Amino acid sequence: MIVAERKPFEEIKAMIEGCKKVLIVGCGECVSVCMAGGEKEVQILASQLRLAFEEEGKKLEAGETTLERQCDKEYLEEIKDKVDDYDAVISMACGAGVQFLAEMYDSKPVYPALNTQFIGVAEREGEWSERCRACSDCVLAETGGICPVAICPKGLLNGPCGGTNDGKCELSKEKDCAWTLIYNRLDKLGKLDNIRKIFPAKKYSVQTTPGRRIHEAFKEKE
Amino acid sequence: MGDSEPKVVAFCCTYCAYAAADLAGAMRLQYSPNVRIIKLLCTGKVEPLYLLKAFEAGADAVMVVG
Repeated sequence: MIVAERKPFEEIKAMIEGCKKVLIVGCGECVSVCMAGGEKEVQILASQLRLAFEEEGKKLEAGETTLERQCDKEYLEEIKDKVDDYDAVISMACGAGVQFLAEMYDSKPVYPALNTQFIGVAEREGEWSERCRACSDCVLAETGGICPVAICPKGLLNGPCGGTNDGKCELSKEKDCAWTLIYNRLDKLGKLDNIRKIFPAKKYSVQTTPGRRIHEAFKEKE
Repeated sequence: MGDSEPKVVAFCCTYCAYAAADLAGAMRLQYSPNVRIIKLLCTGKVEPLYLLKAFEAGADAVMVVG
């Protein structure tokens, strides 16, 4: 899932300076799971903003709604009758959701309430870690299912480097050395020979920006 | 409740704090009427939003007792 965290409150408040009515839109997918931008977080942000404005002697009307997700147009359309009633919209989705919402309602200021961090997994309740850099050229088959691009701070395809230290990274004792993990996993799988393979320079050319994919079935016939 | 008195909302656990308040009542002990009790099955149920909503509703202070 996409992992995000809420921006500092003061930053969000500063974005809507001068607004009297804002619509806060949550997203029911990844950011709900990582407790950053779901229904609960929408309610909390709305309440905090109302209280903060009241403290300054101002009144803020904060509308609250949470969509199934913000990365599909059909769900964004659900708020088309509401948006016009507000001075601005605060999206509590990942960066993709914020942009899609802003694109659909392009005459209305749309502000992000979250900082999107990474594609990751839930290690345990309330803790997530990065697992994928969306590099468009997956090497996990060769590395025992452990990604050196995402987990090695240097993104080395031919590791470990000289900074590996008892299974930890030279950058931080908190970080595991990705290539030690890979070595141990390959050993467990009986595929230790993989470690001798030399990866050629990574094909960054496939990592186009902005990325776009059209499913075969939806490509226009030539 | 006079306007000068602070309004306090107390979220109380039914098994301890609420029982204590109930006992105080049974013993005819007085405690400040400014404290408004909301009984919860467990204070573990308290969500940040409950506290914020209490402030939005005009509370000057919120207690979580459990």
